Amino acid sequence: MEKLAQELAGKVALVTGGTKGIGKAIADRLLEAGAQVIVTARRHPEEKLKHHFIAADLTIASDTVKIVPEISKQFGAVDILVNNMGGSTSPSGGFGALSDQDWENDLQLNLQSSIRIDRAILPQMVEKKSGVIIHISSLTGVLPVYESLGAYAVAKAALNNYSKSLSKEFSPKGIRIAAVSPGMVKTETMDSYLHSLSDTSGSSVEEVTQNLINSLGGIPMGRMANPEEIAELVGFLVSPRASYITGVNYIIDGGTNPSL
Amino acid sequence: MKKTEKELQGKIALVTGGTKGIGKAIADELAHLGATVIVSARSLQDGNLEYEFIAADLSQSEDIKQLANKIIQQYGTLDILINNVGGTSAPAGGFSVLSDEDWEKDLQLNLLAAIKLDKALVPSMIERSTGVVIHISSLNGKLPLYASNFSYGVTKAALNNYSKALADEVASKGVRVITVSPGMVKTTAMETFLNSYGASIGKNMEETAQLVMDSLGGVPMNRLAQPQEIANLIGFLVSSKASYITGTNYVIDGGTIPTTI
Repeated sequence: MEKLAQELAGKVALVTGGTKGIGKAIADRLLEAGAQVIVTARRHPEEKLKHHFIAADLTIASDTVKIVPEISKQFGAVDILVNNMGGSTSPSGGFGALSDQDWENDLQLNLQSSIRIDRAILPQMVEKKSGVIIHISSLTGVLPVYESLGAYAVAKAALNNYSKSLSKEFSPKGIRIAAVSPGMVKTETMDSYLHSLSDTSGSSVEEVTQNLINSLGGIPMGRMANPEEIAELVGFLVSPRASYITGVNYIIDGGTNPSL
Repeated sequence: MKKTEKELQGKIALVTGGTKGIGKAIADELAHLGATVIVSARSLQDGNLEYEFIAADLSQSEDIKQLANKIIQQYGTLDILINNVGGTSAPAGGFSVLSDEDWEKDLQLNLLAAIKLDKALVPSMIERSTGVVIHISSLNGKLPLYASNFSYGVTKAALNNYSKALADEVASKGVRVITVSPGMVKTTAMETFLNSYGASIGKNMEETAQLVMDSLGGVPMNRLAQPQEIANLIGFLVSSKASYITGTNYVIDGGTIPTTI
């Protein structure tokens, strides 16, 4: 594999939830392009990390506020913010299975934590008159599902609206803001999720996987994405090559979205 | 700005309308990334071009057949097809000034040319289970402007639907198909359009550009795109790095479109 050009040399990048799955792939990709990468997660993973690590639970307001001066002191202003953190702990079983707490959890994890970290980091970007913010959303934000991930999808739809709104306000100030909406991606989290669906339903992992794919209408490409494929799109979007791209939601889903 | 070198080494690429504007920027970018680039247009006006040039009027079925045959005969294959040809000669001024012929010309240029060329060249991609087709559309396909270029937007909207349908059909066969929708781009074609629209409403080019930007709701980045910026996105999309991207429409418009998607 050829060596990537160092197009992010000198840039400071923060990737939330950057220790596994899509976040880790993104962090690795930005590092390859020369960025100094800081990742956050609630706990340091067992393995050694290539990136600077800050422990934080960004669903907690005080944690978010705490990490920003830490980052500034050690690395300077953040040039690239990838809001990758997200997910769901809500049960399957449709709308009726979701409690108030499930809704709050999914909104907190997928929407409000992004809002909070954006609010904390934006002043640095506004002062520099430059910066890029990526919101990792989900195809379910435009293609809702209800059997499981119903609240997650709603939170992602809200995230999409928020991302667009933020881009309208801040692109005139030199900051590019975009959402990326992956379809199904093959990660450990996805595997655990499919296994837990299998456990609760009594169907095999293959069956629940196919049911989930069917609920999306099928995947024309016939497979899930690799995390690296999502990371490549993010790597492009945060680079100077994407200088006219802002206020968009780029779907990366092997053709899954049935609509234009 | 350094870029990944030789990402497209060994790939054969055709760029329609590749002698000027966005098409030329795309041709240059693909060549920079290592592709062998063939460019088509009705004629080679400036005489000199670094790439193989094949004259073709994509409104003529015979020209399309010959273009496809020449490529397959000479290269055996096509890896990358950039359907960039498009535009409008229809007058501004709303729906009632558009003649039947204006509509037919825009449909031919912005929709049927791509359909016919894909029909001639995509089967060989399917046979080899590999290939990428890009349809250069326009923000107007999603965000119509009735006063300035009514029929252009309509025909681009049709192109968007066609591109998605084709993508769905060939995804399982190893061929990716993607629509790209630029907003306002700084090219001589844009200047021509602004001048002619401006003439019809008594404004100069700068005033007309501002008027068009206003009628789109404003451009958050407050400028037009450079053709290179469009070419950068295409260069990424046709590469193996974009292997999971198909059946979608990527807008590149400095934030212009006011809706979430």
